[in-house]
Amino acid sequence: MSTSATGRLAARGLTLAYEDRTVVAELDLEVPDGEVTVVVGPNACGKSTTLRALGRLLRPRAGAVLLDGEDLAHIPTRTIAQSLGLLPQSPVAPEAITVSDLVARGRQPHQRWWQQWSQEDERAVTEAMERTDVTALSERPVDELSGGQRQRVWLAMALAQQTDLLLLDEPTTYLDIAHQVEVLDLVRQLAAPTAEGTRGRTVVMVLHDLNQAARYADHLVAMKDGRVVARGRPDQIVDAALVREVFGLEAVVVPCPVTGDPLVVPGAPWQPQSPPQTSSQPQTPAQQRADPTSPAQGTFEPSTRK
Amino acid sequence: MTALSPRTDPPGSPVPPARPAGYGLVRARGTSWLVHRRAGVVAGALAVALFAAVVANLTLGETTVPVTEVVKVLFGRPSPDELVVGTLRMPRLAVGLLAGAAFGVAGALIQTVARNPLASPEIIGVTHGASALTVGAMTFGITSYATLPYLSTAGGLAAAALVYVFAWRGPGSPGSRPGAGPTRFILIGIGISVALRSLTQLFLTKGDYLVAQQAKVWMTGSLNGRGWDQATPLCVALLLMLPCVVWSARAMRTVTLDDDTATGLGVRLARNRLVLVVTGVVLASVATGAAGPIDFVALLAPQIARRLTRTAQIPLLSSALLGAFVVTLGDLLARKLFAPTELPVGVLTAAVGAPYLIWLLVRTSGGRTRGSRTRLGVRTNRTKKNSTQEPTTHRPKGAAQ
Repeated sequence: MSTSATGRLAARGLTLAYEDRTVVAELDLEVPDGEVTVVVGPNACGKSTTLRALGRLLRPRAGAVLLDGEDLAHIPTRTIAQSLGLLPQSPVAPEAITVSDLVARGRQPHQRWWQQWSQEDERAVTEAMERTDVTALSERPVDELSGGQRQRVWLAMALAQQTDLLLLDEPTTYLDIAHQVEVLDLVRQLAAPTAEGTRGRTVVMVLHDLNQAARYADHLVAMKDGRVVARGRPDQIVDAALVREVFGLEAVVVPCPVTGDPLVVPGAPWQPQSPPQTSSQPQTPAQQRADPTSPAQGTFEPSTRK
Repeated sequence: MTALSPRTDPPGSPVPPARPAGYGLVRARGTSWLVHRRAGVVAGALAVALFAAVVANLTLGETTVPVTEVVKVLFGRPSPDELVVGTLRMPRLAVGLLAGAAFGVAGALIQTVARNPLASPEIIGVTHGASALTVGAMTFGITSYATLPYLSTAGGLAAAALVYVFAWRGPGSPGSRPGAGPTRFILIGIGISVALRSLTQLFLTKGDYLVAQQAKVWMTGSLNGRGWDQATPLCVALLLMLPCVVWSARAMRTVTLDDDTATGLGVRLARNRLVLVVTGVVLASVATGAAGPIDFVALLAPQIARRLTRTAQIPLLSSALLGAFVVTLGDLLARKLFAPTELPVGVLTAAVGAPYLIWLLVRTSGGRTRGSRTRLGVRTNRTKKNSTQEPTTHRPKGAAQ
């Protein structure tokens, strides 16, 4: 079981706050090595904040993030960057920078000012660009790329850093569904072992979409109000009760017809029979026209209503 | 675009060169250097242009010295015109040249840290700090050209420190890390500039009429009457700053990335920024001290240099060469345009710089192409809507044409 796995990265008693507002309190988290951990939760539950702290972008108010048992705050940032890469939610590329130039900057923690380009740099950048399929874009300015291409370029930069651990903050933001799937497939592929007997990359990723999280995670962490509500393999923890507890949403959880992973289908749609409960919801003409007795409505009912 | 098919990476497959586009690789004695080819060519061309401007500056004056004689003096050969060229014109030229280069580098460093082409020493308060203290000292009777440079250097540094103190935000502010945010830094700089300018005006109004006249000339940035007294300390100061500048050239690569990405790459962002800003402020203050506030050189030179080299960050060497070139050429024109009346070189650079500033403001407040939203030249975030279509021929601001 994945929760019992030991990890290089862990949080102990982590308390995170912005000024006087505590966002995350006393959080303990173990990131299993070689797996994809996905953190989910409602808006403002502290999932991105936690990820920022794991990547030392935010200094904890109390507690610590441990990398190989050592407090991140006591490790030189450059040393951290050699084992832990991160991709922020909205990275900004310098104006007019080319794809290969940006990807090459991922080598920063491995370079010195008198050693600006080694064979190893070249190999890592080549491999990163091939794996993310951006080699053909190499000389193009990043500004000119589409959203999906750009996200692949940023992933290439993080890959060129050649870290065992990779933190991704909502890597699918601003992408349409096809590009979301493309990027997430790529993440899965990055986490896969490259050779027999080796362990893949450890990925920690924040996602908004619960279904994507269930599909792509080995290890799912559900957060609410700055605490961890549940963690474990998606098929073991995702059920209607969890969705209700974390998101306050009535839903049906069915096996995904493609992968068999839990698929969350929001239940309890707009009810024409009980106007008081739903009067605040805006009614679209389509909803108003819908026949309350249509058979499609009935399929939601049984398991979702208490 | 279709979803990626699963891929394996075959180890040991032939590796095509993947170094950053446009860069050449120089290896020597266990070191390796990435050199932007175009930036190298531009720097070479600028060096040639600068040399031509230097020779022209030394040739033309009240008496015209033959070019051959000027070149002889420059290369240390005996020449009958050594007095005019070497003793009279050279020190003044040296002040202009060094101050121009210092302004160019200062502008490049501060603009890089602020991620804003508007951020230059004259806009964030450095030159106004220098002016205020210098003019203040003049009204109190200190008019020696040997003392004033030190005072104006101190004034520039003090103004920058003041801006930094006000722009500093403590830890834990929402959505930001501790430190002085770039936009905040500029806005507070502009505010402090205005206050300092008022102070300067106060000194001018309260002071003695003759002193005010003298101060006015200094304030427009004139090389008239500058000699080895200014050139030597300036030269020493610049040599002392050289290691910082060389170090900065590398640090600039990472500071141009956004904060989170740079931190993720193990960059000590706060420290790098501080070194870059302090280096820039010291250079601008020292140059102002020696030559007076020669307006717009620090603003113009780095941006023009970047447009020439088409690099992702402002090229330091080209900025320095261009700054020196602008001041050298400007001084020549200032002397010759309305001869025998001599204009301060600052008037000339302002005449060129002011329209450029307006153009910059107009251009950055207009609509943005996708991929980079710019507010007052500050790149904020990527656009919400990311097109999935093939890129159009649109190019964002600053991209090479």
